[in-house]
Amino acid sequence: MSEPGLNTDQVSGAVADRIAGVVLLLMAVGAWWYSHTFPAGFGQVVGPGAFPRLVSVPMGLFAAYLVIRPGVNQRWPQRAALLRQGAALLLLGIYAGVLKLLGFLPASLVCVVLLIRLFGATWRASLVCGALLTVSLYLLFEFALGMPLPNMPGLDW
Amino acid sequence: MDILAFLAQGFAVALEPQHLFLALVGCAVGTLIGALPGLGPVNGVALMIPLTFNFGLAPTAALILLVSIYYGCMYGGRISSILLNIPGDEPAVMTTLDGYPMALKGRGGEALGLSGVASFVGATVATIGLTLFAPLLVGFAIRFGPAEYFALFVLAFATIGGVTSGSLVKSFLAACLGLLLGTVGIDSVSSVPRYTFGWYELYDGIDFIVALVGLFAISECLVFLEDIRGSNKPTLRVGSAIPGIRSAWKCAPTIGRSSFIGFVAGVLPGAGAALGSFLSYTLERRWLGRRGSFGQGDPRGVAAPEAGNNAAAGGSLIPMLSLGIPGSGTTAILLALLLSMNITPGPLLFTQQPDMVWGLVAALFIGNVMLLVLNIPLVGLFAKVLQAPGWFLMPMVVMVAFVGVYSLSNSAFDLYMMLAFGVLGYVLRKLEMPAVPVVLGLLLGGQMEYNLRRAMSLSGGDWSILWNSGITVGIYAFAVTLIVAGMVYGWMIRQRR
Repeated sequence: MSEPGLNTDQVSGAVADRIAGVVLLLMAVGAWWYSHTFPAGFGQVVGPGAFPRLVSVPMGLFAAYLVIRPGVNQRWPQRAALLRQGAALLLLGIYAGVLKLLGFLPASLVCVVLLIRLFGATWRASLVCGALLTVSLYLLFEFALGMPLPNMPGLDW
Repeated sequence: MDILAFLAQGFAVALEPQHLFLALVGCAVGTLIGALPGLGPVNGVALMIPLTFNFGLAPTAALILLVSIYYGCMYGGRISSILLNIPGDEPAVMTTLDGYPMALKGRGGEALGLSGVASFVGATVATIGLTLFAPLLVGFAIRFGPAEYFALFVLAFATIGGVTSGSLVKSFLAACLGLLLGTVGIDSVSSVPRYTFGWYELYDGIDFIVALVGLFAISECLVFLEDIRGSNKPTLRVGSAIPGIRSAWKCAPTIGRSSFIGFVAGVLPGAGAALGSFLSYTLERRWLGRRGSFGQGDPRGVAAPEAGNNAAAGGSLIPMLSLGIPGSGTTAILLALLLSMNITPGPLLFTQQPDMVWGLVAALFIGNVMLLVLNIPLVGLFAKVLQAPGWFLMPMVVMVAFVGVYSLSNSAFDLYMMLAFGVLGYVLRKLEMPAVPVVLGLLLGGQMEYNLRRAMSLSGGDWSILWNSGITVGIYAFAVTLIVAGMVYGWMIRQRR
């Protein structure tokens, strides 16, 4: 039950809500405009563009309302937190890209160790827990649950 | 008594050894996940869905497993509410009000035991209600045509979050965003690609399981990264859960009243468990007046929201199963599971797949008993999970999310999509815009559009078919009433401060 009125975790959402409102408004207008390019099939009463248009109208209206009358937000992250989040996302993005290439074990090992480190553990704890987590997840998924994970190249068993 | 025969049949299905085993595993795993600080029922169930798919279980078995995980997560969630004052989800907020003070007084075990019994009673009352009332609603809904269904979807979106969350406009915006994202992919009727911008990976549309895991699990990790130091709280001594049973007996009238209130709140579309726990707590507080010491660790302050919340969770299965309209965030996720197993909830489900429906209902009964049996003795063990440090838990959550999603399709694209939804979920949370309507839009958009187009082809392009029958007008009127009630209710709360 979120309670109206600002509490300690909340800030005025004037700026962020307006930005979000503008982005969503542009999305609604774009969706409306783009939906006209969908070719209507022969003999269809309602073509593929109708429903997106039907949704984009209230969406645009609500977004415009948000621009005019923004509400409250939760406190936005500080610079240090943003850097940590960005680093985590970058790490996970790279991990997603190399997972198939390198195989599950080596890719995950590096990723998990760095991730645990990023979440504030010491290097020692990261190495030990990262290795433990990777190996136990591998054993769990590959053998106990029977889900094939990508193997290291050249090591297909 | 058709119902009893069906239910007996359902128990026969649910009591098969494999199903019993799955229920046990689901309850245990669910409790563990729910107890992890920062992971509530919605996140927990969302995280487990992709894994469940990979077991290759039959639909009934998968559903039983997921429902048990759901119930387990609900139970586990209250462990962190009571011992750490961190509610896993919205309905659990009310439990912290008296649960944490009880834990501070060294009565944490009692509070956990009591909440277990109260939840058990609430959930059982709701499941009995489900058994009795769902067929009635089905009998009514069987006459629905596409226009009525379209109205029903409008009702679902008009009411979701309308009562519980802060801003009505933001919930509506989130729902529109979900609906729009739901149209991405090849249109099933005309085979035209929509909003794919030439990316063939998008032709199948946005997989809502990928979206779900991103929105709930990945965004949770981003929230955690904001403050990696301040999140560890000292854990309190738990003690035995046995006194909880005795205090549950003393709270019996409270539990009874709250179960009923919660059930009614749960059946209302869009209200769900949060309203159930809120209403039962506040009404019980008013009912007892000075006789209670609410807010300072009154056992009844734990019993009321817990019974109410679980009764509401059970009650919200009624509109979900019989109409296909989810009443809360978690039922939305259960609906996601059903749809992805090609089971479309609605009146036809009861006539075409009675085995599944009644097997599910029986599984709910069994899951309840199992949770109670499992939790009273093991409460200390589950509470240990809370002591695991966040720097270990969160990477584990990320890894389980990655492996689960990757094993669905073996595509890196889905992983990127999951990360993108993680960022979206995080931004939505900062904006105080609920994420559940986005999921609902993704989930229900296809069916909503399908029914709209069927209605239009029936009427030959005459839009008035959408509001031409008594039932559709009734549904729209009901939607408007609920929205207005939600606004008045919000206004009243603001006046009181």
